[in-house]
Amino acid sequence: MENPDPTSRAPEQQPLSSPQDQAPPAAPEPVAATNPVSDSWARGADSSEAPTPEPDDDATRVIQTDEGATDGLAKCSRCGATDISLNVATGNLRCNFCRFEWSAESANDAFDLDGDIGKLLGVTVGSGSSDIVPSTDEVMTFKCSACGAEVLIDTASSTQARCHWCRNTLSMNQQVPNGAVPDMILPFKVPKETAIASINKFVQKRRFFAHPLFRAEFTAENVMGVYLPYMVVDINAHARLSGEGEHQTRSYTVKVGDSQQTRYDADLYNVVRDFDVHVSDLTVESSSDRLEQITSQNSNNIINTIMPFDVENAVRYDSNYMKGFTSERRDSNLDELSPIAFTQAEDITRNRVNSTLGFYDRGVRWTQQDVNVRGQRWVSAYLPVWLYSYQQHKSNGKTFLHYVAVNARTGETMGSVPIHQGKLLLVSGGVEVAGIIAAIVLTALGI
Amino acid sequence: MTTSAMVLAVHDQVLASGGSSGDDGGFIGFIFLLSGFAFYALMYFRYRNADKRHRHESETEATLLNMKKGDTFVRSKTGMSNSRMSGANSHEVRGARRKFF
Ligand SMILES: [Zn+2]
Ligand SMILES: [Zn+2]
Repeated sequence: MENPDPTSRAPEQQPLSSPQDQAPPAAPEPVAATNPVSDSWARGADSSEAPTPEPDDDATRVIQTDEGATDGLAKCSRCGATDISLNVATGNLRCNFCRFEWSAESANDAFDLDGDIGKLLGVTVGSGSSDIVPSTDEVMTFKCSACGAEVLIDTASSTQARCHWCRNTLSMNQQVPNGAVPDMILPFKVPKETAIASINKFVQKRRFFAHPLFRAEFTAENVMGVYLPYMVVDINAHARLSGEGEHQTRSYTVKVGDSQQTRYDADLYNVVRDFDVHVSDLTVESSSDRLEQITSQNSNNIINTIMPFDVENAVRYDSNYMKGFTSERRDSNLDELSPIAFTQAEDITRNRVNSTLGFYDRGVRWTQQDVNVRGQRWVSAYLPVWLYSYQQHKSNGKTFLHYVAVNARTGETMGSVPIHQGKLLLVSGGVEVAGIIAAIVLTALGI
Repeated sequence: MTTSAMVLAVHDQVLASGGSSGDDGGFIGFIFLLSGFAFYALMYFRYRNADKRHRHESETEATLLNMKKGDTFVRSKTGMSNSRMSGANSHEVRGARRKFF
């Protein structure tokens, strides 16, 4: 797996074997030359430099997105400190020692994502979007080049960890096929205080029927900054929709027995729309948990609702954006996400075509929809969410996880507040009684 | 779960009735007779937002190019009682992740 470009990785930053058990940092040992994870790395690392299509794949083009990325100590270029984090106010990375600020390269520029979608042909994927190799370890081990100790990074929740011995921060920026290091990241922009205020406001408006335990326990300050995994997809397709449409020519009333009824005349047309469609930055959750949005079982739809994000402002992945935040790892591959993305792309297409169907005021019924995807590009991303979560213990012994989520780019806020069922049923009953009385009165008055 | 199912039914009814162009004059009476259920549904969705989702179909950037249109007259239809074409599906959304059950 050794990187073909020897300058891109300092020897001391080589990942070691990855023990599943969280053993305490052992005494620094010389790193063994054999690397147990090397085989599973091969797919991701092989295709660096000139993207060579994989022989077994039908010409999938890989954009190498972690070229030159290094693991281990990521040092401030001015003073050499490793205490680097996002300055939310500027969107830059900042050295917390000397206050020097800089930014990672725009992902659009670095990976040329901005080009004409019409020129996209075949399948293009970011190297950080490659298939997950199930045997790849979740907990990665790195050797601290400052003191020699072993440092574990649990990729389920971060790609950074601090060395227990010398307190330096170790980062993982090279891609391993376990979904932890994406192609790009969109840094937090909404400050925590703003998110807390939004969440408070959202919940304040929903206090009356809120569950009393929730009212007592709710603290917006418990909000967490989480980078959630998504795939960002561009699609170049040709579509042909055909069906029938109706245009109303006349409406009039007729007498049926005692009552007046409306009747309609219309012209029926065969309708065909044949066109190219470019879908840009279609964004799909790439964690199987988050894709489950069954609202009787979870409130993941809340997190779904705060989309879209301004993904065009994402930058090349750099673990330093993660400090102070957590992350969730991508666990879904292209073959699982493609059907979702394509179905949504068809929804988008139908939606846009409606602007050409104004004449058919009675509606259009498509009977045939042929969509030929000519080109597609997949880039994995971490997108920033302020997430307040509340575990409700229901009387039937079940639990339900409620979220209030804030899009940490746009500030869009959505949430689920546990309901005091007894109170709501009681008041609804009162409303029902009042309604029935009103209906009786209206009937008596002959309205 | 039964309450949720009932709430959904009412919610859909309210949406359907509210959205149609007014040829159901019994709506006022209906809403009074079901006012308790309607109130429950309204509050349930206001607090739980179980009906919300990302509107990917309209909120995703997309461009149509090289549009070729075919519109050929077939025939005239008369005396229909429905104000909308039956089976119209051009506003259909199939890729929503949010499901109720
Ligand atoms: Zn510095
Ligand atoms: Zn150390």
